[in-house]
Amino acid sequence: MGKPTGFMEFGRELPTKRKIEERIKDYKEIELTLSDADAKKQSARCMDCGVPFCHNGCPLGNIIPEFNDAVYDSNWEYAYQILASTNNFPEFTGRICPAPCEASCVLGINKPPVTIEAIERYIIETAYSRGYVKPNPPANRTGKKVAVIGSGPAGLAAAAQLNKAGHWVTVFERADAIGGLLRYGIPDFKLEKWVIDRRVRIMEEEGIQFRPSTNVGVDVKGTRLMEEYDAVVLCGGSTIPRDLPIPGRNLKGVHFAMDFLPQQNARNGGRPVKGEEIWATGKNVMVIGGGDTGSDCVGTSNRHGAKSVTQIELLPMPPKERHDSTPWPHWPMMLRTSTSHEEGCERQFAILTKEFVGDESDNLKAVKLVDLNWAKAEPGKPPRFEEVPGSEREIPCELALLAMGFLHPQKEGLIEQLGVELDERGNVKSKHYQTSIDKVFAAGDMRRGQSLVVWAISEGREAARQVDLFLMGESNLESQELGLLNLATASA
Amino acid sequence: MSYPELPQPVLTNADLEKIRYIDHKGFQTKTIYTYFRADGKPGSLERALDRICRYAEDGVEDGFSIILLSDRSFDSSHAQMPSLLATAAIHHHLIRKGMRGKVGIIVEAGDVWETHHFATLIGYGASGINPYMAFETISDLKQKAMLETTLSEEKLHYNYIKAVGGELLKIFSKMGISTLQSYQGAQIFEAVGISRDVIDHYFTGTVSRIGGLTLDNIAKESLVKHKLAFPEVPVPNPRLEVGGVYQWKLRGEEHLFNPQTIHLLQHATRKNDYSLFKKYSRMIDDQAQKALTLRGLFKFRAGKSVPIEEVEPVENIFKRFATGAMSFGSISHEAHSTLAIAMNRIGGKSNSGEGGEDASRFHRKPNGDWENSAIKQVASGRFGVTSYYLTNAAELQIKMAQGAKPGEGGQLPGHKVDEWIGRVRHSTPGVGLISPPPHHDIYSIEDLAQLIFDLKNANRAARISVKLVSEAGVGTIAAGVAKAHADVVLIAGHDGGTGASPLSSIRHAGLPWELGLAETHQTLVRNKLRGRIVVQTDGQIRTGRDLAIAALLGAEEWGVATAALVTVGCIMMRKCHLNTCPVGVATQDKELRALFTGRPEDVVNMFTFLAMELREIMAELGFRTVNEMIGQTDRIEVREAVNHWKFKNLDFNAILYKEPVTLDVALYKQEEQDHAIDGVLDWKLIKAAKPALEDAEYVSAEFPIRNVDRAVGTMLSNEISKKYLGQGLPAGTIHFKFRGTAGQSFGAFGAPGLRLELEGDANDYFGKGLSGAQLVLYPDRTATFEPSKNIIIGNVAFYGATSGEAYVQGMAGERFCVRNSGVRAVVEGVGDHGCEYMTGGIAIILGETGRNFAAGMSGGVAYVYDVNASFKKRCNTEMVDFEPLEEEDVQTLRAMIENHQQFTNSTVAGDILANWDQALAHFVKVMPKDYKVVLQKRKAAALAEVARQSGEPVAIMTN
Repeated sequence: MGKPTGFMEFGRELPTKRKIEERIKDYKEIELTLSDADAKKQSARCMDCGVPFCHNGCPLGNIIPEFNDAVYDSNWEYAYQILASTNNFPEFTGRICPAPCEASCVLGINKPPVTIEAIERYIIETAYSRGYVKPNPPANRTGKKVAVIGSGPAGLAAAAQLNKAGHWVTVFERADAIGGLLRYGIPDFKLEKWVIDRRVRIMEEEGIQFRPSTNVGVDVKGTRLMEEYDAVVLCGGSTIPRDLPIPGRNLKGVHFAMDFLPQQNARNGGRPVKGEEIWATGKNVMVIGGGDTGSDCVGTSNRHGAKSVTQIELLPMPPKERHDSTPWPHWPMMLRTSTSHEEGCERQFAILTKEFVGDESDNLKAVKLVDLNWAKAEPGKPPRFEEVPGSEREIPCELALLAMGFLHPQKEGLIEQLGVELDERGNVKSKHYQTSIDKVFAAGDMRRGQSLVVWAISEGREAARQVDLFLMGESNLESQELGLLNLATASA
Repeated sequence: MSYPELPQPVLTNADLEKIRYIDHKGFQTKTIYTYFRADGKPGSLERALDRICRYAEDGVEDGFSIILLSDRSFDSSHAQMPSLLATAAIHHHLIRKGMRGKVGIIVEAGDVWETHHFATLIGYGASGINPYMAFETISDLKQKAMLETTLSEEKLHYNYIKAVGGELLKIFSKMGISTLQSYQGAQIFEAVGISRDVIDHYFTGTVSRIGGLTLDNIAKESLVKHKLAFPEVPVPNPRLEVGGVYQWKLRGEEHLFNPQTIHLLQHATRKNDYSLFKKYSRMIDDQAQKALTLRGLFKFRAGKSVPIEEVEPVENIFKRFATGAMSFGSISHEAHSTLAIAMNRIGGKSNSGEGGEDASRFHRKPNGDWENSAIKQVASGRFGVTSYYLTNAAELQIKMAQGAKPGEGGQLPGHKVDEWIGRVRHSTPGVGLISPPPHHDIYSIEDLAQLIFDLKNANRAARISVKLVSEAGVGTIAAGVAKAHADVVLIAGHDGGTGASPLSSIRHAGLPWELGLAETHQTLVRNKLRGRIVVQTDGQIRTGRDLAIAALLGAEEWGVATAALVTVGCIMMRKCHLNTCPVGVATQDKELRALFTGRPEDVVNMFTFLAMELREIMAELGFRTVNEMIGQTDRIEVREAVNHWKFKNLDFNAILYKEPVTLDVALYKQEEQDHAIDGVLDWKLIKAAKPALEDAEYVSAEFPIRNVDRAVGTMLSNEISKKYLGQGLPAGTIHFKFRGTAGQSFGAFGAPGLRLELEGDANDYFGKGLSGAQLVLYPDRTATFEPSKNIIIGNVAFYGATSGEAYVQGMAGERFCVRNSGVRAVVEGVGDHGCEYMTGGIAIILGETGRNFAAGMSGGVAYVYDVNASFKKRCNTEMVDFEPLEEEDVQTLRAMIENHQQFTNSTVAGDILANWDQALAHFVKVMPKDYKVVLQKRKAAALAEVARQSGEPVAIMTN
């Protein structure tokens, strides 16, 4: 621990954000980076706990107290090594992770937690600028070939790990660029795309082959995959969005968020925009769904120059502070205000969308909403709501964006061709990441359902270890809970 | 013939090379490589051990004087033997061959870096050790700029060696050993989890009670590491693991208190939710895939269950609970008093720890809550142990040792000693407090019996408890404790108290309570002593299942410390020594203490849950009362399907042995001890003091005294403290004069208002724990010897005294005023170790002192009348300086020497007073360095305060 009394002397300070009026004019990242001195000061707040709850709260098991200490000592290379030992892509999580580690930081019991995420980002960016992040191809090749389907964070993590273990890895991506949701879901103002390109270049130099614009199941059949590769890892994500089958759903101007967001990312990247262009410019925008995707729609709409942006959510407004039902060190149920919300947006809660109202040419002109009363949930039963009588109203709206989450992976195509079993939610069923077919594994949202980038990376890593075990009979790849010198798990 | 000499046992690489190639007057070294074939086949390690033993034997026969065991010979096909196994193997082999005396053993090993590694190697015969990996690591850290230092690598290595040396000395001292030579080959260790075969062959004579690892298992441990060093498949991330031995780490060692269990326990107790608690205890108890505790390998043998309604209620069980001894000082007032209130609410017992207790807590609060700790601890430091403190206890606990750090005392760093704590401990704020390793009044079981007797006199309503640690042989000690008339014996396990222990002790010192408890119960039953004493155990007891196992192994009472602390907010920061506990538990920082959120009701909930869980197990096993359970080890069996290679060879027969006894032999405490206090002289004193005790009237009387009259004045002081509290009676209200030879502990824990005048002489422990009384002693008026040349009081006078005055015409024995924190005493000469560990008060010595004066003295002042100018070289100046007398000193000396002359008619004092100015020149003032700094700061602060009030600026120098 750098400074035992750091947490008593310094307050939590986040990196500066660009001014709202400036940043909504472009798609550049919002957060500026810390200075050396600030990073050091913030790392000094880490208490190097006897029981580091952050380390447990992180789905990757990032060794947070150790890298904080290295930052305090300005030992950037060591900090990077520690960070990279558990996280293949700190440049992604350092930008867009909701930081469950910070929610479980011990300091958070009675003070603002350590700025772990900002420190993480600072470490990796420093490591890049100082040239520590170098291609590091494996010394020996096993001769085994693995196909990774999908190049989102799970697929990339699985590929990176399997390559480290000496396997030849090919990553297939049906979009025209690598990155999955990182590339075409998350707006540039949260994650500029050169960050992905920079990482992909290194992975290529390490020997991983990327095959963008290749739709496995269409361009490459499942059977060929099974013939050519010793193992297949399915990382296709949870791509089927939840729909809102109410009157007027087919009106022009009602779109899924994932039809809207990728277009802007494509424009920013100078790539062709697919399908009919969707613009929020000059429109009253209604974002339906109160989660992160919704928030991204808010930010993008504002940048388009929307006339107004409203975001509505079915559930009641969460408390402003950590709720009793989610005490420390749990992920707190509480109201979160994103940078996009700061930029201008009306947020309403406990609202049900009744109908999309169109004009004579079937263009959306309004949405019909109604307020809800939520009854207190009985134990073991889902909470119930009822509509507030007389609260029904029509709000002018020319663009409605559906951001209500994702249900499960796409079944037609590869999943059907391979014939892997699905679970009751429609995700790929697996045991220790292995699907019902021996050499086929699954990781990420495709397996666990929609989740965080940090979970996707974790899934990719864990699956990679299982694949390695499957191929080699033993594995020196790390796992979240497994150290290599752990005698307890050494076999008899 | 001359021998090469090693100044200390840690060899640098250069030192080692000199030894490796030595060729001097017939001195040569034979190097033996300690590798074994890394083929994983059974017997590989054994064959290699045979080989090195054979080579060693040959080496001796061929005339070599030094055997160098080197593990630098590994490669992809050969792995390193553990250096300790190799060393012990050769050591014992050569002993068996009668050759051991002809050679020295030097070890060159990579698996040596902690103090414990050095200690065990030396303990099994090594003379010198070259820990090359430790040096490599230090150099590597330096080269990679991972150490914030400008020191050279050489200097860093030197510092490491120095630190190891210091730590080794500490280990020797803990074991009561003074020289490395006595420690070498002494093998005072107990092994846990090594098979009989391995012990008999290679660690001959070592205690190992539960069997365990075979040679092939040990080989496998080495091979796990070897395989990573020479991997068959790539190791993508070669970074070393962080380990997680002391801190919890996801990829490190398992800890039962981890993020899940800590949170669940806190949440369950705060919400008063038993189902959450069950979730917590399941996580602790379910060690199906792991082996974290010995009890984790046990299961209950089913019996005829009884309805739970028939099992005794939780209220009965509450009385059997205690919280651990954690001092006010180590933990905050808020945490300490919260535990006390909770335990008083349920009728259990909280423990003051060894730091004294603020007297304001002795009285109930208006709302009925009570912060008084039922158990008051008496430890070697005797902090704040006054008559009044002892009077306000339901149990007095003599801490012989702490389970987590046997042989060590409490250590409170200076920054945790604030004004309040200093006051409660009768010490100086800002000055660190180290409890001495031993009790200076206990060097034998008879001495312990004496202290038990003293304490029983000081509070006859209190149980006297003796805290021991789990170790081989503890049963014998416990039997002695029972015979010494203690009411309770506590067997403390190794894994408690981890916040305040040095790292090497956390990991390597102490043993699980299962071992010590089983031995204690078995020994007490075998000797028909079990019925006379309560057996209590503690050490990470966390669940009802732990309680049940402890009861079946022989404990009818249990201490719970860490779980109770976790309940009030502790999150196992392991920063207790830094004063930075962020939840206000183990800190004295005001700002941090304000963050404490623990509540007594949460603690009550935890103990209720524990009792509920225990009742469920009792019902299931068919026990209606806890007493029926005690020692029923046949209701425990070893879990089946324990097939992990690391623990499948454990053998618990010795632990689960049930002493066959007839029905009339008690298996739990059933009879009261005879404390032999019915006939003590104090009953007469109390009778004579009636007017004073009832109405504070002056009384005086004379009594003859004999050496069987022990602890005279102690019970009387207890009576004074009961009625007149800490303040006592006005000075001299009770004036008793004695003539004769006083027994031990004359005036022990004497309370204010008491003046005891003794004409004659006194045994050891004169004025022990004096708390305000005045003692006067002069030789029999008919005696012809010269008092100032003769010892008139025994050893260890005024040990742990907190206040009062004493005038002794004559010399005192050794350890005069040891741990004195407030007595003002005049004596005419002292033996060795005078004023040792003193933290306050004044000692005036009008004559010669023995050696090692003022060792460990951190407070108070001593004045030595040094006519022959011989004192200074007898003084241990590690912590003290000699200072010139100031005006204040002269006044103090004059007043006390005048008193001395007046009370005792001392000729020495008379001469000094008659030639005052010349005499003054011979006084040496002994002043502790830290104490002086603190006093100066206080003076400056007081001046500043005066200046502030008068509005004048003053320049203040502090440092």
